[in-house]
Amino acid sequence: MLSDITFGQYYPASSFVHKMDARIKLLLLIAYIVLVFVVKNFYGFLVVYGVLLFLTLLAKVPITSLIKSASAVVFIIIFTFILNIFFYKTNNPTYLFWIITKEALEFSTFMALRLLALVFFSMLLNLTTTPVALTDGIESLLKPLKVIKFPVHELALVMSIALRFIPILMSEADRIIMAQKARGADFESGNLLKRAKAMLPVLIPLLISSFRRAEELGDAMDSRCYSSSSKRTKFRKLKAGWRDLVAVIFTAIIFTAVILLNNYVGGLV
Amino acid sequence: MQIISKGLKFTYNKKTEFKRQALNGVDLTINEGDFFGIIGQTGSGKSTFIEHLNGLIPVESGELTIGEFDLSVSAQKPKKAYKERLKLLRRKVGMVFQYPEYQLFAETVFEDVAFGIKNFFPEIEGEQLALKVKNALELVGLNYYEVKDKSPFELSGGQKRRVAIAGVLVLEPEVLVLDEPVAGLDPVGKRNLMELLHSLHGTVLKTIVIVSHDMDEVSENCNRVAVFSDGVAVKVDTIENIFADVDFLVKHGLELPLTAKIKEDLKAVGVDIITDYKIDNLIEKIYKNYKG
Repeated sequence: MLSDITFGQYYPASSFVHKMDARIKLLLLIAYIVLVFVVKNFYGFLVVYGVLLFLTLLAKVPITSLIKSASAVVFIIIFTFILNIFFYKTNNPTYLFWIITKEALEFSTFMALRLLALVFFSMLLNLTTTPVALTDGIESLLKPLKVIKFPVHELALVMSIALRFIPILMSEADRIIMAQKARGADFESGNLLKRAKAMLPVLIPLLISSFRRAEELGDAMDSRCYSSSSKRTKFRKLKAGWRDLVAVIFTAIIFTAVILLNNYVGGLV
Repeated sequence: MQIISKGLKFTYNKKTEFKRQALNGVDLTINEGDFFGIIGQTGSGKSTFIEHLNGLIPVESGELTIGEFDLSVSAQKPKKAYKERLKLLRRKVGMVFQYPEYQLFAETVFEDVAFGIKNFFPEIEGEQLALKVKNALELVGLNYYEVKDKSPFELSGGQKRRVAIAGVLVLEPEVLVLDEPVAGLDPVGKRNLMELLHSLHGTVLKTIVIVSHDMDEVSENCNRVAVFSDGVAVKVDTIENIFADVDFLVKHGLELPLTAKIKEDLKAVGVDIITDYKIDNLIEKIYKNYKG
């Protein structure tokens, strides 16, 4: 069923990572994404994946849900891997066989590992942060842009509504699929084109109901005099604490370790 | 077709941390010819149960047979044969979901109603198809010539629901399962819909199963009822026996139908009226009692 997909799925637990400030988690995510691209050798990746494993255990989220999330991007990773193998060029390549060079193979593997780590880190954030906290965090981080009249609050609102509607639309899609199946719709046989066509009786009602929901939500917000221009206070205040300090220091140490590894062991790429 | 469920169990999101046991061993039999009601609080497993009835949710454990169709786990292999049988079953068991109007999709009412026929009986075309669609639309009280070329989205809410129901009836099912069919309809719409169901009951359509939390609707229309609680059919009995046991209903968070309440109140002041739970019969009896 559709609702089985873990996408933006918050995993409720009480852990060190869950209790961290969403803003710090966002910033650290950026730091880790940079780190993934700073890494130059296999030892570095060992550190990165070690950190990932450690954080997963620390966050008390099941490793399976993390791996499951990677299945969504497996296609992209394989695709870039193959492209990189054929199109990576170096000055003096060592040919392994045919047109495959050692350098290209290394580069492609590293790229795949980077993309995978990137997905894992982002997923870890998703699993440990509620959508509300996440958008609050983003809003708070983007606040400086208000100076140039960037609609930060509206953007955050759009994001939180979008996130909130994912599970609703999914369960709705499930129901419509069932209803059409009961009328003999077949989503599983036939070629790709036929299957895509078979999805129409699901997509159209879904599209219409999202318009309906949007209108209803708009009315509901209007009737409660919602306005984005008014100054509002937050029910849940984001607050950075000792955990965040520890996390920042930890990340800094990891960063240093990876850079040292790059310098002493040297880069393979 | 008789529907027999024995020890039917189902868990949502099995193997994940979000798992939820929706059915916990449902034992019940729905006989051919029943106007069967399923009542129970929200989350008691009513909807999950009926989704099993035409194989939309595959049986996970326990036994379920619908007429000659065995849906139990042991009968799900080979997969291809099972799928073929599911297709046959779905022709015979029509399913009207909650707010069926939200499943409308086609450009015209005609196309939407014809959807099921095109899927199940691709050989039916042209005039034959038009006749079937016309019959179905007229059954639900819509004027075929008026609505057939309209977009389903132009219609009013009540009309949309009728079109959606016509889209199921067009297949002439033997069993019709409806999940909260009158939810969101006005009293007249409710009455019309239930009258429609009664008029169909006993024709090609032999068995009707409705899920409802409206006790009046159930007491007025059904002959037998199953009370669901925590994924189990805790009581399967006739209307008379179900609504006579007030304590049992209260225990499972259910209300009494209006007719039962009136009977209870009258009993409290010493007037014992013996009748079923249909409102017209009750009024007649009270009137007679008053005159006599």
